[in-house]
Amino acid sequence: MKSFFRSPSPFWLLMALPSIPMTMAFIGGADAESLLHPTGEFAARFMIIAMIISPFRLMFPKSRFWMWMMRNRRYLGVAAFCYALAHTVLYIIDMGSLSNVLGEALLLGIWTGWVAMFIFLPLAITSNDWSVKRMGRNWKRLQQGVYVAAVATLLHWIFVHNNVGPALVHFVPLAGLEVYRIWKTRKPQLLNEVSG
Amino acid sequence: MKYIRFKSAIALATMIVLPLHVGATGRMTCEPIESTEWISDVALEDKLVSEGWKVRRMKVDGGCWEVYGTTPEGDRVEAYFHPASGEKLLVAQRGKILFRAEGVK
Repeated sequence: MKSFFRSPSPFWLLMALPSIPMTMAFIGGADAESLLHPTGEFAARFMIIAMIISPFRLMFPKSRFWMWMMRNRRYLGVAAFCYALAHTVLYIIDMGSLSNVLGEALLLGIWTGWVAMFIFLPLAITSNDWSVKRMGRNWKRLQQGVYVAAVATLLHWIFVHNNVGPALVHFVPLAGLEVYRIWKTRKPQLLNEVSG
Repeated sequence: MKYIRFKSAIALATMIVLPLHVGATGRMTCEPIESTEWISDVALEDKLVSEGWKVRRMKVDGGCWEVYGTTPEGDRVEAYFHPASGEKLLVAQRGKILFRAEGVK
């Protein structure tokens, strides 16, 4: 059992679960458009979960759960990318032609989505041991691009429907945790400044 | 470390401040009407198709008919129609308002 949780399999399994009803619906002939929302939402959710791990690790440094999450964080990112890729492919299928896709590419609700997707791409490609070793410090620097992708995703979500509510439900907790992280990592330095 | 903090601070500030300026244009709401007064989905779709629209999906949202489809100009849109008259109230392409009937907020 222990080795099962040590391996990435349970993680992959969990992350693949939401894709099962989506795939069934697609095979069953569902409109591509009807799957845009769930694929996009899960892409954002997995990205957010990957991002909240380190603030939670700061909050609960001894928690084995968050340690386990930390070990699997890269897989979460890859899952987010897979759902985002499905989201993009379905969007292109739904639009039907390149000229249709380009025709609305400059709308605020759309280009923000493309920006997020293009940032996700190198992050996902380098999410393997070989890249981590080869890139060294630059790996982390590159992966920090996720902050820009997160802002782009938030804007995409808000503006594509001109609706703030659902996007905020997902992003406010993340923002809160990031505030905590900044506060927490700043504090020792402030103390040093005071005593120094 | 400073670099990381700077980036997260920017991301964060955008996340918090931006929504305050966006303001919820939100979804449409239509005045409630008797169920017998509603224009049927088939009738509304026929009307739209005859005007050159392509209708993909329609549903009731906020007491209006909400239609997902393509305008005669070829834009993929989400559009709202009056539940009784089928009058066009609001047309949005991926969140960008293309048409808003007079008096519609």
